[in-house]
Amino acid sequence: MGRWIRYSPGRIQLTNRSGGNVQLDAHFMFVRETKTKILNFFCFVQLRRRWLGELGFPYWNPIRRRFSPDSPFFASGNVERELLAKQVALDLTEDEINHLQKFVETESRRISCPIVGCPERLKSLDHFEDHYNARHTASCSVCSRVYPTSRLLSIHISEAHDSFFQAKVARGYDMYECLVEGCGLKFKSYKARHQHLIDKHKFPSTFEFFKKTQLSKKRREKLQRQHVSRLKHEEDKEAASSDAMEVEDKASVDGLVSALSTLTTSDTTPSNVSFGRRHGRGLTFVPRSVHKEKRTESSSAPGPTN
Amino acid sequence: MADDGSASNRRDPIKSSVGNVAGQRRRQQAVTVAKERRELLVRAKRLCRVGTNGDVEDALVENEMMVDEEQPILEAQASKSVEELKSAVQYQGKGAMQKRVTALRELRRLLSKSEFPPVEAALRAGAIPLLVQCLSFGSPDEQLLESAWCLTNIAAGKPEETKALLPALPLLIAHLGEKSSAPVAEQCAWAIGNVAGEGEDLRNVLLSQGALPPLARMIFPDKGSTVRTAAWALSNLIKGPESKAAAQLVKIDGILDAILRHLKKTDEETATEIAWIIVYLSALSDIATSMLLKGGILQLLIDRLATSSSLQLLIPVLRSLGNFVAVDPKAVLTILIREQNTEESIIGVLAKCLRSEHRVLKKEAVWVLSNIAAGSIEHKRMIHSTEVMPLLLRILSTSPFDIRKEVAYVLGNLCVESAEGDRKPGIIQEHLVSIVSGGCLRGFIELVRSPDIEAARLGLQFIELVLRGMPNGEGPKLVEGEDGIDAMERFQFHENEELRVMANSLVDKYFGEDYGIDE
Repeated sequence: MGRWIRYSPGRIQLTNRSGGNVQLDAHFMFVRETKTKILNFFCFVQLRRRWLGELGFPYWNPIRRRFSPDSPFFASGNVERELLAKQVALDLTEDEINHLQKFVETESRRISCPIVGCPERLKSLDHFEDHYNARHTASCSVCSRVYPTSRLLSIHISEAHDSFFQAKVARGYDMYECLVEGCGLKFKSYKARHQHLIDKHKFPSTFEFFKKTQLSKKRREKLQRQHVSRLKHEEDKEAASSDAMEVEDKASVDGLVSALSTLTTSDTTPSNVSFGRRHGRGLTFVPRSVHKEKRTESSSAPGPTN
Repeated sequence: MADDGSASNRRDPIKSSVGNVAGQRRRQQAVTVAKERRELLVRAKRLCRVGTNGDVEDALVENEMMVDEEQPILEAQASKSVEELKSAVQYQGKGAMQKRVTALRELRRLLSKSEFPPVEAALRAGAIPLLVQCLSFGSPDEQLLESAWCLTNIAAGKPEETKALLPALPLLIAHLGEKSSAPVAEQCAWAIGNVAGEGEDLRNVLLSQGALPPLARMIFPDKGSTVRTAAWALSNLIKGPESKAAAQLVKIDGILDAILRHLKKTDEETATEIAWIIVYLSALSDIATSMLLKGGILQLLIDRLATSSSLQLLIPVLRSLGNFVAVDPKAVLTILIREQNTEESIIGVLAKCLRSEHRVLKKEAVWVLSNIAAGSIEHKRMIHSTEVMPLLLRILSTSPFDIRKEVAYVLGNLCVESAEGDRKPGIIQEHLVSIVSGGCLRGFIELVRSPDIEAARLGLQFIELVLRGMPNGEGPKLVEGEDGIDAMERFQFHENEELRVMANSLVDKYFGEDYGIDE
């Protein structure tokens, strides 16, 4: 705990974290700086209320929101339109027209979402992608990695992007949660948690919760040099901040699938995904059943569209 | 087409070919579907390549083999066809025109029968200069048509293929003129539409070459497939994100009237293209926005939303409505007051969109509501007293994340007066109480827990309203009851400073040491 500093009565001026200045009348005031709360005021309640107002809690203020046509806000609505940005003028015989019309009718046939327990039926790959991203993934707003449940995403964020998390780790707290929901155990290091997953929950030893991105050769070399010098200073660097390059391993994914088959609650894990896949506009995997549909379609409809 | 001045003994072949062409024009719809299907298959193939299991990869090999077999043949044919066109163009003797048309038609056929037309081969063989030559002034319509058709399909491919049309643009634009026959003008518009759809650079080239005015004039007639094609091309041309094309369009005499007229009366496919033009105009041109509003566009948009069930049409119409609402609340108020709560009213059509199964309609309808709710107290009352409220609350607990965020905006906006100056915005207690009792608090606390910064911020802001504004000091208890304190305390170590301060200050103020004791 930090120490208390007594301020004599009078007016003090503080700068709040958004850069504004505040003046307060203090009859008596103790100020304490701690690691968790930067500033604690021990003073009259009335003062704290005013502090709240003057330091500018961003109160809800109704404003109209306008977006430009290419804003990501409109991305889902633009999907079909983008497909029509260019149009081919096809030369079709009567037969081909018939086939095409039949296709148009069957177009309204939908594909069931392959995720177990999900009742959704989708019209096209695009729809499936939107649906999947909306319903079955959670993506990190910092690094775009995608996770199948919000819990895992939340764990990732704490472990990968939170300096306070690292601070607590450095202080020896058990911060690394077991990934299996309901287990509840926590560990002091990424490696320890990793070992627990293997020992207790039968995860494959090649499974990595946090895969580093594949860096360019230059960057890798640079990091390698930094790593070597850093090793001289500290010993217990966690794998999360080490420079280990993990290569995608299909075997580990399969093993993960079996290990996870007992895990999930409302969200379900698709059969062939690994954690931490970045997601851009295209899907990085397409479940088998979606392809099966496409294949039977293409084999049954001869003509220019095939 | 019959008055193109060609010799009478050639009239029949020309007519029949025109007949074919006109018939194929009507299959535009099929074309767009074919293109869509092609995209789906192409994407499926690309995804297969990333492939995670054996039998999918086998299927890919199969497809590739099929294409591989056909492709070289097609490419060879294309090269040959271009060669023949070359000699036909050079030939000056008797029957020259027929030779050219025949060669063009052959090339056009090759370029329009499969989903992977041999564009690259044709380009390599030097098709473009020949096609440009065939576009020269005074050429017979059929020649112009076939040439423009070839160019259309070349432009429908990869970016570099589209860019290859650059030398042809001035002529294509010229043939949009009112003296051209309708099918020719339409085919040229189609080609230009493909070029405009490629990207901003090409759009700028087209604009600087004066493509906009003649294209715009093509939508003046009441109906016809030409109107539809031209409207589509026009929407590609003005889509921005720069606003200068939209600004130029507004200045054309009579264009806004034509747009309003089509929005009101025309068939759904054409109306869809017109609606996209309106989307871009309302987003990029303030002048267009105010003039269209004066012309009564809001009611026309609402009518279309009420009567149509075509998703392709509903999306741009709804978005246009949203753009107008985002800019001019007064206009909305007039409409709201005039038509209270009927199915044709603005609230009625938005409710229809909320009930839709289509995610896009739901999301954008909620966005529109959020902007209406950001208006005056009358606006808020209008929404609050209607059927949309239970719909919104249900969406808050069931829909995908991004729609829930939009609902958060609506609900919060309904509870707060728009702020004057620096004062803290006042809470509308009646609305807050009824919304909270409708069970929205859990949804907001869910947002606080989400990893999205904007959503968490909204959640915290709403919690502040509840803590401050609920009568009899009920706020803190309600928030505690939904695990709000826990959600807020998670921010103690959050890396985002603003959220940390917000959460901490709320916890300090309302759940401090004196929580539970009268303050």
